[in-house]
Amino acid sequence: MATLHLLSHTPFGDSRFSSCLPLLADSDALLLTGDATYALTAGTQPAAELERLPEQVAVFALDEDVQARALSALPARVQLLDYAGFVELTCRYQRVNSWL
Amino acid sequence: MKFAIALFAPPHSPAARRALRFAEATLAGGHEIVRLFFYQDGVHSASANSVAAQDELDVAAEWSRFVSANQLDGVVCIAAGLRRGVLDAGEAQRYQRPAANLAAGWELSGLGQLHEAAQQADRLVCFGGH
Repeated sequence: MATLHLLSHTPFGDSRFSSCLPLLADSDALLLTGDATYALTAGTQPAAELERLPEQVAVFALDEDVQARALSALPARVQLLDYAGFVELTCRYQRVNSWL
Repeated sequence: MKFAIALFAPPHSPAARRALRFAEATLAGGHEIVRLFFYQDGVHSASANSVAAQDELDVAAEWSRFVSANQLDGVVCIAAGLRRGVLDAGEAQRYQRPAANLAAGWELSGLGQLHEAAQQADRLVCFGGH
């Protein structure tokens, strides 16, 4: 049962991000939204942790939130989504786990 | 695909706007929303009394329009609403408060409605955070 994990808090403020990563199975995926997209900031610990995830784990980010934060030099494995893509992604995984 | 969408974050949080944009995209994609559920600080987005700054998105008004225009089942947790002052006419009268402020399209009901929506939907997507 593949799960889409939905993060929306900055990885620099609490332990949601670091608690989430070890739980990801190979068939699971991670979607970064809102301040969670700061995990893509080049040269930081969270960005390095994303790079170290097993390659089967898909990593997505909401394009709008990435652009709003002027993030660049994103890790190559990150796929950017619009809202239509966000909806399609939730259909592709059996459940969505939001780290509220 | 049937969606249940729950919002936990207040209207000034980016999560409230994200939930709205996601809900719009589900309908645009040909999917069905079985229920919207506002819980915790999310209930403030169902208040008709909040006023957004002129250069900001009035997320509560947009939610009200979205729910009414699409005739969606929009539910606000009654316990969360009462403690935060989001009342319909019946509750305002019951607790002798001076005004009701629940926006058009919404109804107050219990947390069981979230549980039921989760059972009826193919996907439950919750929004919170920043």
